[in-house]
Amino acid sequence: MSPLVEVRDLCKHFPVGAGATVYAVEGVSLEVGRGETLAVVGESGCGKSTLAHTMIRLHDPTSGQVVLDGVDISTLGNRALREHRRKMQIIFQDPFASLDPRRPVGRAVAEPLLIHGLATGSEAEDLVADLFVKVGLEADMMRQYPHQFSGGQRQRVCIARALATNPQLVIADEAVSALDVSIQAQVINLMMGLQDELGLSYLFISHDLAVVERMSHRVAVMYLGQIVEIGPRRAIFENPQHSYTQRLLDAVPIADPRARRDRPLLTDEIPSPVWPAGTSPDRVVMREVVPGHLVAEEA
Amino acid sequence: MEPLLSVRGLTVTFGSFTAVEDVSFDIHAGQTLAVVGESGSGKSVTALSIMRLVELGTRGKIERGEILFRTPDGDMIDLVQQSEDAMRAIRGNQISMIFQEPLTSLNPVYSVGDQVAEAVILHQGLDKDAANERVLEMFRLVRIPEAEKRMAQFPHEMSGGMRQRVMIAMALSCDPKVLIADEPTTALDVTIQAQILGLMRDLREQTGAAVLIITHDMGVVAEVADDVVVMNRARVVERGSATQIFESAAEPYTKALLASVPRLGSMAGRDEPAPFDLVEYQS
Repeated sequence: MSPLVEVRDLCKHFPVGAGATVYAVEGVSLEVGRGETLAVVGESGCGKSTLAHTMIRLHDPTSGQVVLDGVDISTLGNRALREHRRKMQIIFQDPFASLDPRRPVGRAVAEPLLIHGLATGSEAEDLVADLFVKVGLEADMMRQYPHQFSGGQRQRVCIARALATNPQLVIADEAVSALDVSIQAQVINLMMGLQDELGLSYLFISHDLAVVERMSHRVAVMYLGQIVEIGPRRAIFENPQHSYTQRLLDAVPIADPRARRDRPLLTDEIPSPVWPAGTSPDRVVMREVVPGHLVAEEA
Repeated sequence: MEPLLSVRGLTVTFGSFTAVEDVSFDIHAGQTLAVVGESGSGKSVTALSIMRLVELGTRGKIERGEILFRTPDGDMIDLVQQSEDAMRAIRGNQISMIFQEPLTSLNPVYSVGDQVAEAVILHQGLDKDAANERVLEMFRLVRIPEAEKRMAQFPHEMSGGMRQRVMIAMALSCDPKVLIADEPTTALDVTIQAQILGLMRDLREQTGAAVLIITHDMGVVAEVADDVVVMNRARVVERGSATQIFESAAEPYTKALLASVPRLGSMAGRDEPAPFDLVEYQS
């Protein structure tokens, strides 16, 4: 069976004045299988969120293709795109900012059903009740307002809204990063349960490698707009090939005081992704370590 | 040895809400104590109480308890009883604090060098030239590359990691006896976090300051803490050395907290993702 999403040579550049350009996403190719979680990891500014937003056409790509379930959505017009938007949903980091403070949360969850013509008023209410139960909330809670919920509950509401249109792909953009650790673990368990139940594919954007190790099937490591390593989760965590992947893994604090390490004190920073007029970054060249595990050649 | 800072029976309220209840702990010179807990546990209010900032603006009230601080002269004073003027001489000078978000802690319209110099001029009475010398020395201590050039930069010209170094330089510029760090690496990328934690460890050895670190991140605790105080719902639920807490936590809340911590390497040898094995905790 073909993968759910195929991204081919995707680029997203932003002009920043004086002819300079941010190469936020540069030549990214990847696939997301059906029922699979692909995690995209990297530091602030590496382009992981821009990649996700471009994949679902919150940004129009500069070039390249995004094939969703056999259809290239990268060049579709708004009207044609709408029917495909139903298949892809996104959950953001801050659920409070994602919900209208003046409307009951049930209305937020019903809205995608109404917009996509998937249900009428009373049907929608029943469907919303079902969705609330599915994400571990009580159906009555749909009448409450965002401020009446805890952070974890609000993120459950956002997950319910993402699921309302019966999507195939759910993008989680740092969706658990702002939650307390006990709540984070519960929401991750919920997301994994929903994946099993509904066959969802996740594109899981995160800077937290320990969380990524828990819940992903495959992992892509991004650096300065490009993927420098991609492969099965075990290959990336147990046999990382790229020096940047190794550096990221080395920096993760270990929750065991006996494993405390003396690290060399580094002060280096990631270079800027802004390129002055007339210049552009070099494309990385990927080499296959074993089938499915690709790493960028290093100088 | 007598502690440098001793919090005894601290209770802090906001109106009818008790944010901190009967909290006690000691910190010794050269030691790092981590106060760990989730949102709303009272850990930040505890830190703000030590600085006596909890009463400013936020209408918090220290209801009961003592915060005993050993001054450089060797006297033990109760910070709760100090006047605002007396606290001004202590804050940023003998006890200093760094916060989670360095960008909101820095003034956008002054160069970072001038901002750190201001603290030194105010507390140490140095003139402008001597203060700039001191700033340069501090920027080098916290390993800001090209320190001299960086002093003239504005906060928006620096990365998050560099800004947090500036905050640490400012906090250490007056040789404080106690450094309070409230989620100092939470807003930073993991590679930068590793740099800042390493820096804080080094600086504690070099300066002999006591460090109180407030965090929700058990990984950070394991990296830097000698002793740990676990807070939940305004109270201390467990205390001990870092190894005790991680290896033989006794309280159900601590166990539940540790069970939900994602640990790198926990999935070694397993092909499929796996949910967290959560421990039920009812308070």
